[in-house]
Amino acid sequence: MNLPNIGVVNIGSSGNVFNVVRSINSTGAKCGLINQEDDLSKYDKIVFPGVGSFPYVMDTLRKNNFHDALVNSMKSKPTLGICLGLQVLCRVGYEFKETPGLNIIRGEVRKLNCSGVVPNMGFRTIEMVKESPLFKGITKKDEFYFMHSYELINHTESIAISEYSHHHYVCAIQKDHVFGVQFHPEKSRESGLRILKNFVDF
Amino acid sequence: MNSFKTRIIVKLEVKSNHVVKPIYFEGLRRVGTPDEMLQKYFSDGADELIYIDIVASLYQRGIDYEQIKKASESLYIPLTVGGGIRSVDDCSRLFDSGADKVCINTHALQSDSMLINNAVKIFGSQAVVINIEAKSIEDTWTCYSDNGRIPSLKDVVEWVAEVEDRGAGEIILQSVDRDGSRKGFDFNLISKVMERSQVPVIISSGAGDINHIVDVVKEFNPHGIALSSVLHYNDLDITLIKESIHNELT
Repeated sequence: MNLPNIGVVNIGSSGNVFNVVRSINSTGAKCGLINQEDDLSKYDKIVFPGVGSFPYVMDTLRKNNFHDALVNSMKSKPTLGICLGLQVLCRVGYEFKETPGLNIIRGEVRKLNCSGVVPNMGFRTIEMVKESPLFKGITKKDEFYFMHSYELINHTESIAISEYSHHHYVCAIQKDHVFGVQFHPEKSRESGLRILKNFVDF
Repeated sequence: MNSFKTRIIVKLEVKSNHVVKPIYFEGLRRVGTPDEMLQKYFSDGADELIYIDIVASLYQRGIDYEQIKKASESLYIPLTVGGGIRSVDDCSRLFDSGADKVCINTHALQSDSMLINNAVKIFGSQAVVINIEAKSIEDTWTCYSDNGRIPSLKDVVEWVAEVEDRGAGEIILQSVDRDGSRKGFDFNLISKVMERSQVPVIISSGAGDINHIVDVVKEFNPHGIALSSVLHYNDLDITLIKESIHNELT
């Protein structure tokens, strides 16, 4: 079987790119870094991890003249956004200030609207509300690691919901070949690796 | 009923390639190497791991990045790394070596608190953890650094408020008076800090038996508990701890 080439977007802020690459490698897929526009053509699929802040990621993409090419690639290549990488797929975010996102999916990103302390950190189960190839072999008992203070507001592309401190929030989306997860599959034991494998196999 | 489970976290204190367990932050005993112990606690079911180089600040050197890289291989749960972090570049290097969060004490406490703001701006709140070493002096607690050796002028409760204002996303609360003693947690300290805190607090220091752990979870419903001695010396194991908490709370 010919496994696809997976490119992990590395905008140079470090963050968890290193661990994402390690986890994808463990699924057996071939995986490399997308450091600049030219690298995009080398890969069949895109993984967009994110640590940092919404404005920091968007500013960096614009500064490196990377923004348009990335959006263009995402129109045809299967894409997986992780955590902040999911959030910046949206139209707009409100972390620190109003910042336009990549506008691949509808929706906006706002501070977690719950009574508990934030960030929401820890392993949570998820409730799958739509079928998705991303969830092959995943059950409601599987737990995923969350670390975030902002949430995606979207009621059309959501495929899974989770709960923290009595607040329900979107934790995974799919729009055609574009997927996003609020949790960290690279840090969620076998359940997370399963999600990554499902994306590799998609 | 709580809608989240207390995270069971293992805290490894590392000194020149050995996991050690100080008692009251002094008197070190070697208990294993970092890679074998991280891997063991991952397999045993830990929710998270904390790796602290306990002498990096003292010797004013950085952490051994190659060692972190090696030790974090095949760990598919979050790893927080601390010890001797003096700059945003130090943080970057740790993330590039396999850390998911960085944990800061000495430098932010004793010389440059802006380090917290600067790290938060680049890596986000959720990746910046503040390690507090609290020592009780009469009715208050003072922040210490360098493994409980060096006092600061900061009151623990005020420092908690300050680091949260600066954007820190999590607090590890250690007690210099209890750490390694296995005499139980300092309820007064925990209660003071949790009353004030707006971010998750990981409580630590003093667990000696299962009752200590179950009692502190019942009382405070903390976001996480960081354990070391009780696990390093095989008094308890993680599965038993999780089951006991589950049985007690449901």
